[in-house]
Amino acid sequence: MQDILDVMTSRKSIRRYKPDPVPDDMLDKILESARWAPTGENYQPWRFIVVRDQETRNKIGDLAQVGSGSRMTAWYCLGHMQERFAGIQDPEKRAKVLRFMYSGEVSAFAKQSPVVIAVIGTLMEGSVDVPYDLSAAIENMLLMAHAQGLGGCWVHGPVAATRDAKKFKEILGIPAGMGEYKVVAYVSIGWPAEARKFPRPKKNLEELVYWERFGQTERPRHG
Amino acid sequence: MLNEMLYRMEEVFWHELSDCAPWKTEFVGIDFIQSQDIKGANEDEVIRSCIARIKAAGLVEDIGFSIGGNGILLKLQVRGCQLMLKETLLRKSGIKPYNCPVANMIRDQLIEKLGYETTYLADMAADEKADGCAVKVAIYATPEKIGAVSDWSAE
Repeated sequence: MQDILDVMTSRKSIRRYKPDPVPDDMLDKILESARWAPTGENYQPWRFIVVRDQETRNKIGDLAQVGSGSRMTAWYCLGHMQERFAGIQDPEKRAKVLRFMYSGEVSAFAKQSPVVIAVIGTLMEGSVDVPYDLSAAIENMLLMAHAQGLGGCWVHGPVAATRDAKKFKEILGIPAGMGEYKVVAYVSIGWPAEARKFPRPKKNLEELVYWERFGQTERPRHG
Repeated sequence: MLNEMLYRMEEVFWHELSDCAPWKTEFVGIDFIQSQDIKGANEDEVIRSCIARIKAAGLVEDIGFSIGGNGILLKLQVRGCQLMLKETLLRKSGIKPYNCPVANMIRDQLIEKLGYETTYLADMAADEKADGCAVKVAIYATPEKIGAVSDWSAE
């Protein structure tokens, strides 16, 4: 069995996909992994909508492009995007990356990914942990996809704004009431057509971990 | 009392969602403006109609506006807003004010009445001493307007 940390550290978000279909048995394993995610009081509030239909994925891709593009255009106009990508030294490359971002193209990849899985949670069964449970399910799906050689990406932006979430529900026929189902994200799945650099730069544990009390960075001796 | 209640709601909302909180609150205020039969054939007329109704309701003393930045930057200068106390309380608790119901109302009517593709509350600067807010809203009449970048600091 592969060390699970190897699976975790070699996973990366994939946004470019080959057109090859994802076999049902591989998709089923991804969905099965979601079913076994931790869930408060075993409520299992998650529901999954598997979308292969090209027209539906186009609508989702368009919605995502408008959502990201509308925000990033504004961020660029305010100067925030230029600061974020100042590390790219080549001005042409930087401009190209920035255009890719503020045009919203960065988020349109649902059109190319063979499978999109909408992750929604019922708000009607008493669970108090809906977003957290759904996030755990998403992580399981991404790891299972990667462990099978597939790629995936967790996409929250297009459903983050209330009006966009409403449009997303309309696309998939999800009941529109704010008290019924919450759309947390969708996950795109497919065969990777890109090999992103990994491991991605990560903060050191020393920056992230405190011992016994907030702010205490010195690891105490024990035993 | 209304301001204190809204402040507590927005404080906890921010605690839950941080920078995503403004994206979730874009419907706050739209029920009022949707009840006001706003009319207008273009953005100037719709915005002026919204402002007239918002002022008549006593929510603000005045709102100035201008449109620039390739047609996607709507700048609002809100004066004498009844909700200023909520912004003051938020800032005191360490949270930058992020939800402007006045802007939400105008954004909603640009979408509902003129079919704008989308809008985005880009920046909100509350100035308690001057009793005013400077609000920057990105308004996108069509999908093609997305990506029409310019330098807003020069506006």
